[in-house]
Amino acid sequence: MTDGLLSPATESELAGILRRATAGGEPLAIEGNGTKRALLRPVQAARTLTVRHLTGITLYRPQELILSARAGTPLPEIEAALAEKGQYLIAEPPDTTALFEAEAAETRPATIGGVVACNLSGPRRISAGAMRDHVMGVRLVNGQGEVVHSGGRVLKNVTGLDLCKLLTGSYGTLGVLTEVTLKVLPAPPDSATVAVSVRDLAAGVRVLSAGLGSPFGPSGAALLPGGAPELGLQGPTALLRLEDFSDSVRYRAESLAARLGREGDVTLLEAARSVPLWRAVRDAAPLGALPEEAIWRVSVRPSAAPGVAASLSRAFDAKLLLDWGGGLLWIAGPAEAATHAAVMAAARAAGGTWTLFRGPDGLRASSEVLPPEPAPLAAISARVKAALDPRGVLNPGRMHAGL
Amino acid sequence: MQTNFTAEQLKDPDTRVSNTILRTCVHCGFCTATCPTFALLGDELDSPRGRIYLIKDMLESGRPATEEVVRHVDRCLSCLSCMTTCPSGVNYMHLVDHARRYIEETYTRPLPERALRWVLARVLPHPGRFRLALRAARFGKSLRGLLPRRGTTGQRLHAMLDLAPDALPPESPAQAPQVHRAAEGPWGERRGRVALLTGCAQKVLAPSINEATIRLLTRMGIEVVVTAGQGCCGALTHHMGQHDPAMAAARANIAAWSAEIEGEGLDAIVVNASGCGTTVKDYGFMFRDEPAPWRDRAVEVSARALDISEVLTRFDYAPSRESPGLVVAYHAACSLQHGQKITAEPKALLRTAGFTVKEAAESHLCCGSAGVYNIVQPEIAGRLRERKLENIARTRADLIAAGNIGCLTQLAGGLPVVHTVELLDWMAGGPEPPAVGAARARQGAGAAA
Amino acid sequence: MIPLPEPKPDILARRDEIVAALRAIVPGSALGGGLGEGVISEPLRLKPYETDGLSAYRQPPLAVVLPTSTEQVAAILRYCHRNGIRVVPRGAGTSLSGGALPLADAVVIGLMRMNRILEIDYDDRLAVVEAGVTNLGITKAVEGDGFFYAPDPSSQLACMIGGNVMMNSGGAHCLKYGVTANNLLGVKLVTIEGEVIGIGGSHLDAAGYDWLGLITGSEGQLGIVTEVTVRLLHAAEGARAMLVAFKANEIAGQAVDAIIASGIIPVALEFMDRPAIHACEAFAHAGYPLEAEAMLIIEVEGCAAEQDARLGEIRAICERFDPISVRVAQTAEESLAIWKGRKGAFGAVGRISPDYLCMDGTIPTSTLPEVLRRMGEMSDRYGLKVANIFHAGDGNLHPLIMFDANDPESFRRAEEFGADILKLCVEVGGCLTGEHGVGVEKRDLMGVQFAPHELDQQRRIKSAFDPQWLLNPAKVFPLDGLPEAALARAPARAAARAA
Repeated sequence: MTDGLLSPATESELAGILRRATAGGEPLAIEGNGTKRALLRPVQAARTLTVRHLTGITLYRPQELILSARAGTPLPEIEAALAEKGQYLIAEPPDTTALFEAEAAETRPATIGGVVACNLSGPRRISAGAMRDHVMGVRLVNGQGEVVHSGGRVLKNVTGLDLCKLLTGSYGTLGVLTEVTLKVLPAPPDSATVAVSVRDLAAGVRVLSAGLGSPFGPSGAALLPGGAPELGLQGPTALLRLEDFSDSVRYRAESLAARLGREGDVTLLEAARSVPLWRAVRDAAPLGALPEEAIWRVSVRPSAAPGVAASLSRAFDAKLLLDWGGGLLWIAGPAEAATHAAVMAAARAAGGTWTLFRGPDGLRASSEVLPPEPAPLAAISARVKAALDPRGVLNPGRMHAGL
Repeated sequence: MQTNFTAEQLKDPDTRVSNTILRTCVHCGFCTATCPTFALLGDELDSPRGRIYLIKDMLESGRPATEEVVRHVDRCLSCLSCMTTCPSGVNYMHLVDHARRYIEETYTRPLPERALRWVLARVLPHPGRFRLALRAARFGKSLRGLLPRRGTTGQRLHAMLDLAPDALPPESPAQAPQVHRAAEGPWGERRGRVALLTGCAQKVLAPSINEATIRLLTRMGIEVVVTAGQGCCGALTHHMGQHDPAMAAARANIAAWSAEIEGEGLDAIVVNASGCGTTVKDYGFMFRDEPAPWRDRAVEVSARALDISEVLTRFDYAPSRESPGLVVAYHAACSLQHGQKITAEPKALLRTAGFTVKEAAESHLCCGSAGVYNIVQPEIAGRLRERKLENIARTRADLIAAGNIGCLTQLAGGLPVVHTVELLDWMAGGPEPPAVGAARARQGAGAAA
Repeated sequence: MIPLPEPKPDILARRDEIVAALRAIVPGSALGGGLGEGVISEPLRLKPYETDGLSAYRQPPLAVVLPTSTEQVAAILRYCHRNGIRVVPRGAGTSLSGGALPLADAVVIGLMRMNRILEIDYDDRLAVVEAGVTNLGITKAVEGDGFFYAPDPSSQLACMIGGNVMMNSGGAHCLKYGVTANNLLGVKLVTIEGEVIGIGGSHLDAAGYDWLGLITGSEGQLGIVTEVTVRLLHAAEGARAMLVAFKANEIAGQAVDAIIASGIIPVALEFMDRPAIHACEAFAHAGYPLEAEAMLIIEVEGCAAEQDARLGEIRAICERFDPISVRVAQTAEESLAIWKGRKGAFGAVGRISPDYLCMDGTIPTSTLPEVLRRMGEMSDRYGLKVANIFHAGDGNLHPLIMFDANDPESFRRAEEFGADILKLCVEVGGCLTGEHGVGVEKRDLMGVQFAPHELDQQRRIKSAFDPQWLLNPAKVFPLDGLPEAALARAPARAAARAA
């Protein structure tokens, strides 16, 4: 609704809006292009503040491996600028359009500010790090309308408390990002995938561990319970991606194939088939979630993943996709409280965490979409929130009820 | 680091040297990582950096040493692992030697400690007295139940009894003053001429080491002189801070060897107890402020001092027997690896001789012998011994070889222990050491099990 | 000496009572005869704890306590919190920014005795260790099985992982493998109130706020870390180095740009200027070219064929810049020989100068030639020599300023020179510290990088963890912004004594 939408054109305008919101104690929903509005919990706020007009790449130094952009800059614009110089966004954030099934008219691209605020990372997280590992600097406006910066435009920086890490993945509840500086890397010229047919998930995780524990440095390690029939891969299939110069890709793919051959049939996929496959994994397409199903993300130590999968399958008809060597489970299932309870229980039992990624509003509003913090930490958490947003105007209830 | 000595203090040559050493230290803390006492106790005060700091404070203050400083300096093994690690080249050895002397001269120890040190200084360096003491100890072992277990004195008495061997080997005539002629061979009369430091405790505890050294060198065509007038190298009293007795012992050796150097000449002064070797190589420094003839002779002696492994390498040691199929755990004595920086030669020689050589993990850590440390600091020495034996056990070796009598005594009781030179002598034609028989028996028992 | 907060008179007056209470919590280790005691309180024996790797600043603490378990740490903090006693955590004391510098009224909590490795898991590629395990100790425990822990600060032999977490330490390998923050899975944090909180764990992503990221690099401001879960990586098949000497700093900088532009990310990319080359060569005799103005050491990883390919490509790139010499290692031994001088750099500088200050700033790599030129001008002005080691891939600069600690004038000039260098780093778009931390050394320069309200924002977050500012209060934040609650004159805590 446009009259409930505040869209400042500059950082200082944005700061003014927040100063007034805090003065009046008025909660605001914070977003970029709203592509992840359906993630986590819905926000009860009369008005929405968007950064989508704060756009533009402000600094790009390929030889220094950094790029700075205003928070509302669309992701495709950044990716194109990087591609022109043969570089890329290291953490390959997922494109959630299909998962959140936005109506065509409303489809806008994700903004870099939103991507950072959600800290969603793709398969390459296992080798090269998550979004939060590449945020070198931020400018933000806190709840009181103060413009604060942390970090900078250099790759090594330990000056003061690391607010880049704190703000990344904070879903707009601690500050509104206005500009981010990211570490980028040269895009490897070539890639390939070693696909291994395995008996079951446990065997699949073992294969992924063997690959990740080898000297060959895979940049992706996923497990498709249903394989990839369009590529002729039937049944549970473990995937290990290699990205490098061509000579290295060839050598490492062959070496991995040789090592893993006894675990199952091995298929080598060259770049033309490998790249789209991993894009699909990145966007959780193989999960095959139906529109009415809810989606969760669970993070555990890889060896615990098969156990989690088994306990979920006992509780409901669980669809699964494993990434990060087994350290991440995408889960789709009935959008019910009982299912959510089963997911939380399985994650807890394995010593891991969960996120309710997608669900109907009722389920989202009434569930713990993220694990509650233990009491001592929750107390600190509340005080940190108050240190940045004393009147609680920023995205109240986005992560936890009442916060 | 910054130092705060007065101009008056710096007139003293020892203080001047220590000031230079202290200035070299940048307080980086790398040394703590490889110090055995820091590894055990986790306290900055029991690390080289902490001791340097305490010593600095003590010397700058000019006041007598206090009980706290003495406690932590006493705990130093003088293993010199810190010197190997230090990136700045701090000569910790000279600093701690100065500190021990300062302590000895300004601090009055409790009576039981003083008594013990008095006894150790007067008995160990003298083979005759030491032999008598060990006989008494054998008798004492049967009465050990009557000795108190608790308290420092009790612990030390028990430590001494533990270290005393059950059986004393007979005295060896080869160790008496004489010239051992080189064997006949294609080299004419001889390939070289060396003096042998026969030592003090080693002469009594394990004369086989000197015998093997003499046999091997003479077989290789080297004439070996055991001079009259030589004896303890002085390390023992030196490390207790007793400057004058140490210098007297050193002077006797310097006199005896100088006579040979100025006489028929010496290619080397061979030392087969690495604890002694470090000290003999330091004679030049110890005598730096002495009147000219002694100062120069000391430098000459130090320049010729070589560990037996260095001599054997120089004269191209080669075996004459077939490889015996034994796995040897080489234990690097601190004085050899850190004090003299000799790390490769002993292992290379053992491999040349046909042994499979393994080195245990944490090989930089002291076994706890450290001179008389295992008597005066039995708790720490015991913990280090256990740790060393565990690490050695994991190599699954058949026996342990080392180049220092102190280590051999400290590590005895588990795997058979033997001096490196005895194995080398055996492989070049000498008799099989008893330790080998014991090792083979264990091998057999192991295979049968 | 750097200004420190006024000690609390009531705490100083209660020293004996406090020491007794701490002794009740940490009685000492199993060794008898007075060995391994848990609390140190005599003035003489407190002296070695008065400083760390920045030995120019010294302040003996109230007492030192050496716990052996998280429970003991929690009990100590609970007691200190109840009684308003400041605490300073300490690992190996190798900090170059004064991170472990005590206060006169503070209890130093030394974690050196908590040195056990608790778990190693190669399938999940992680290790759980106590905070007192050394950085290299972790790698040594797993290298036999082909694994390693990636961040490798130069002090890795001695520095402890707890300190690494607190400082977010880096090292030469971090261009490829990241810094400490990128290699952790979790920590056990003890808060000032004595609560033990598990942050993260053995899984890769913590849903919710990135507390692990905030705690890493927090320099003891937020709590004490007693246990760390680190990521383990399998070692590459091999690594090999090459050495390239250039006629000018600018040219070396251009070569670095060209290497990055080619898409190769070496595992190490080290730059040394002429004074550094000379100092290292005098000490290590590694065969460094003394006529060079600048030298790069570049290392790549992979199997032999991959090493050959990458080194060949880098060589071709460097040769476009008319180098004085190029030396490519053919064997592991030759690689070690190339590194020998660089690894001994700090010690080498120590041998040609009585003392040195090792600075740590980061700059955009393209500004290196200008920064070096201006540093040369400063060197002339201050009359102090400086040698530069630069992590060329990530912009982290280590100027080594040579001075004489026994000459107070010399030290004062060295400090001013150092401050000017750091201001220059910020001026060209960099920052005050890339890996050594702010500590006390750069505390009073924080205003160069942050506006007052930004420092206040960070202080408020610190206060959220530690409202009374008992945790390491003299570090990181300039003293003029200390909240009322932190000051010596704060009203004494109501009621409860040590009960």
